[in-house]
Amino acid sequence: MNRFLEKLGSEWLFCDGGTGTILQSKGLAGGELPERWNLDRPEDILDLYCGYLNAGCNIFNTNTFGANRLKYPEDLEEIVTAGVRLAQKARTLSGRGDAFIALDIGPTGKLLEPLGDLPFEKAVDIFGEVVRIGAAAGADLVLIETMNDTYEAKAALLAAKENCDLPVAVTTVYDESGKLLTGAGVEAVVAMLEGLHADAVGINCSLGPRQMLPIVKRLVETASVPVIVNPNAGLPRTENGKTVYDVGPEEFASCMAEIADLGVQVVGGCCGTTPEYIRRTIELVRNKPFRRNTPKDRTFVTSYAQAVEIGPVPVIIGERINPTGKKKFKEALRSHDIPYILQEGIRQEDQGAHILDVNVGLPEIDEVEMMQTVVTRLQEVTALPLQIDTTDPAALERALRLYNGKAMVNSVNGKQESMDTVFPLVAKYGGVVVALTLDESGIPADAQGRFAIAEKIYKEAAKYGIRPADIVVDALAMTISSDTSSALATLRTLRRVHEELGGNTILGVSNISFGLPQREIINSHFLSMAIAEGLSCAIMNPGNESMMRAYRASLALLDCDPQCMQYIEAYKDVKLVYTEASGSPAQNAGPGSGAGKTPGAAGGMGRTAPAGGAAPASLGECVERGMKEAAAEAMREGLKSRDGLSMINEELIPALDRVGKGFESGTMFLPQLLMSAEAAKAAFAVVKESMKGKPQKIKGRIILATVKGDIHDIGKNIVKVMLENYGYEVIDLGKDVPAETIVETAVRENIRLVGLSALMTTTVVNMEETIRLLRERKPDCKVAVGGAVMTQEYADAIGADFYGPDAMATVRYADTVFLVDMK
Amino acid sequence: MTELRLTEIPVREVYRYLGYRGITPSEEITGRIRACTGQLLGAVSPRQVHAYYDLEVGEKNMRAAGMEIESKGLLRNLKGCERVCLLAVTIGVEADRLVARAQLHDMLEAAIFQAAGAAAVEAWCDLVNSAIREEAAQQGYYCRPRFSPGYGDFPLEYQKNFSDLLRMPVSIGVSLTDSLLMIPSKSVTALIGLSRTEQPCILQGCEECSASAECAYRR
Repeated sequence: MNRFLEKLGSEWLFCDGGTGTILQSKGLAGGELPERWNLDRPEDILDLYCGYLNAGCNIFNTNTFGANRLKYPEDLEEIVTAGVRLAQKARTLSGRGDAFIALDIGPTGKLLEPLGDLPFEKAVDIFGEVVRIGAAAGADLVLIETMNDTYEAKAALLAAKENCDLPVAVTTVYDESGKLLTGAGVEAVVAMLEGLHADAVGINCSLGPRQMLPIVKRLVETASVPVIVNPNAGLPRTENGKTVYDVGPEEFASCMAEIADLGVQVVGGCCGTTPEYIRRTIELVRNKPFRRNTPKDRTFVTSYAQAVEIGPVPVIIGERINPTGKKKFKEALRSHDIPYILQEGIRQEDQGAHILDVNVGLPEIDEVEMMQTVVTRLQEVTALPLQIDTTDPAALERALRLYNGKAMVNSVNGKQESMDTVFPLVAKYGGVVVALTLDESGIPADAQGRFAIAEKIYKEAAKYGIRPADIVVDALAMTISSDTSSALATLRTLRRVHEELGGNTILGVSNISFGLPQREIINSHFLSMAIAEGLSCAIMNPGNESMMRAYRASLALLDCDPQCMQYIEAYKDVKLVYTEASGSPAQNAGPGSGAGKTPGAAGGMGRTAPAGGAAPASLGECVERGMKEAAAEAMREGLKSRDGLSMINEELIPALDRVGKGFESGTMFLPQLLMSAEAAKAAFAVVKESMKGKPQKIKGRIILATVKGDIHDIGKNIVKVMLENYGYEVIDLGKDVPAETIVETAVRENIRLVGLSALMTTTVVNMEETIRLLRERKPDCKVAVGGAVMTQEYADAIGADFYGPDAMATVRYADTVFLVDMK
Repeated sequence: MTELRLTEIPVREVYRYLGYRGITPSEEITGRIRACTGQLLGAVSPRQVHAYYDLEVGEKNMRAAGMEIESKGLLRNLKGCERVCLLAVTIGVEADRLVARAQLHDMLEAAIFQAAGAAAVEAWCDLVNSAIREEAAQQGYYCRPRFSPGYGDFPLEYQKNFSDLLRMPVSIGVSLTDSLLMIPSKSVTALIGLSRTEQPCILQGCEECSASAECAYRR
């Protein structure tokens, strides 16, 4: 066994303290790159290392925190190698052959996509390069530290695991509320890192030891691997222009002794700490009783900001991102309508889902590409953890690799082939895997057979090091319409897995009623029964109110809803109205009926028609006043007696125009324009729905794009909504779009108008380049430009045909381009 | 520095960023703005970092912290100063997420979050700025109005120096894209000159900006 791993977690280990602090005292200037000293001032680096070795630490960091190709494009290899070689020399010089050299890896300084502009795989590549150099030079372990984003931490850890055999420890930066900058709490961070096989996890930087105490407690309660704590010397303040920390060596050491008592395994320091801090800490801690960390057997599915625990309380997994039986969803997949799919996601979040199932499989599309797009785009707009639902191993691997957090995997089953395919991926990337209780001989009819398959799957998983806690057994709901004993088999399987194996369970609930009338009666009662038998996860539609009722009632009845608060919150203002005719309850308003829990959610602030007995507002009025739902309703009403086209041309467009003119003349403002646009959009959707299949007339097709380098697209999206309302088809190429892509699309689709947006002076050059390329390859295409920095002079200078100061102006311009030759 | 907290997003500023100039929107829209600003205020995590450096102001350029900057506007602003404070502030990444999410179902809501985020980071920057003014006063210095890279003729390229000097990715979680945009987008960098003598009449804000004639958001 590796010499370091033998000691890690079996005895006290001590990290070094601050590097920057020491180098600054030796004259490192602010903004100067410290790693260059490995080549330029090796004596000072030796001195830094020896200082900590003499203080008694047994893990010390190479001076490579910021060493990567982004900062050292020329001589990265020399710098990292020198950092490690100097560490070896220091070890000899100080007679500390027992000490371990940690290849120190800090953040790249870039934020990863989708928030930033560094692609995940590029980050993995950047870290991988440093790891290969450091490992070849002779480091004993990799210490990834000061990570404040789970995604970057994942990229670094994956790179370390893929590029060397050394042990890897990861410490992250929490703020006082116990969160990373990008939102993850202790549970989310630890679950993800342990899933990716970090050998130790922990906390460093940002806080002093005192502020870290509550976070360290949570770390020890959550982590199964050894825990590292490297605080700053208190909190920083500026004194006479210099940064100083408010905790001295003595106080630091006594705090660290308290931290040691919490059950951590490795302690050291970070910014502001010096060999003196470390020496005193070691003195106070080394003779304290050492406690090994214990396996926690908790099940977390996580995202960049959330950790959903499976087990204590049943959770809802939203099933709506799935094309099965959904015509519109299939169409969205085929036409690459990603916003439609994303909306299914956020709607379910508003309705109360805790995890979202993602199934985008369709025979005629590239599932790997689609899975990657949907998973990454979903993680841009929702913090809910995702369940990757696919039978394509390549799609599964891509999704698990790019997923920011610890995902759920749907699914493995008892067939050897399935386990051979799925388990290696779960073992590599981490994940909580759904295990279907079926195998080569099919689905056992009774609970005994299904239970036996569950046991087999647990056993096989263990061979890959996958813990039982990371398996969720699907007891399989089969319709009672073909076999009335099938629900019993399912419920008994649930109970046995729960009671005899202490296992987690899951069900796709609605299958139980296939072929029966009024399915939700059966479904909702079955859900209650399953929860009573110990069901941990229900895959269902959170938009179905009777299912949500059964869920909330079950939680309240089974002591899973403290003080019935969730139940009361959901139903205190809801009146159920029993109608004579059907005898079934109709609900006037309630959770899941569109009034989501998130303020500002779709429909949550929807406008309603004028109250009282007044006649419903006309379509035009609804659009003018921005009443979204009322506009859709008025259109629906109008279509009963008139055709869509006349409704649009005689009511909708004139109303939009009135608002547009008001906006242009300065009597109306952007918010009103947008409200009307949204109302018009809702009304259009009704017409579109009613004309299904029939070709629709469009005025023209326009490309919109935010140019390369620019990642803010709200302005462009506002223009898009306006153009679509005025009858144009918009090919939205998104943001950060290379000139090539825009031009190629314009040529291929024979586009006559391109709209470009740029926010910064630095990206206007890319706009100019796009225009130049368009002139060359598609000379008949007009170009309209807009964006924060744009002016008429600027637009003229870069050769645009039109400058649109606002969204209406672009609509008017489009009309001149397309309508002139229609006459 | 005493602990600073962003407790309020100035609603007048939100109106201004939405294009209302000196007008209060209708009750319906103010209601939606209230809801969005409330939600945003609960989601922000304001952070700041600042540091002081010696400053040399020459005839044509100024030098501080290893930077040599040629900018007429900045020179005018810094005349008579001997120290400079570099600051960077952000309200965090959640504001960007709220905008991205809102764009999926309601552009008005997206526009409000966008405006509220802009107002919030300005308000936060003002708070940090006044704390710096107090710090400076204790050292016997007066502060000039803050000045940001990309403002007037102060080149945006200096964002890189700010990022390195203040270690922005680590200290407050702000990183730069290749095109020098800051992420989170609701972030501000600025430089504040410190002089021994008070200089009451320095142009600031919109009056100083070269683009103010065409700018839709000018005060």
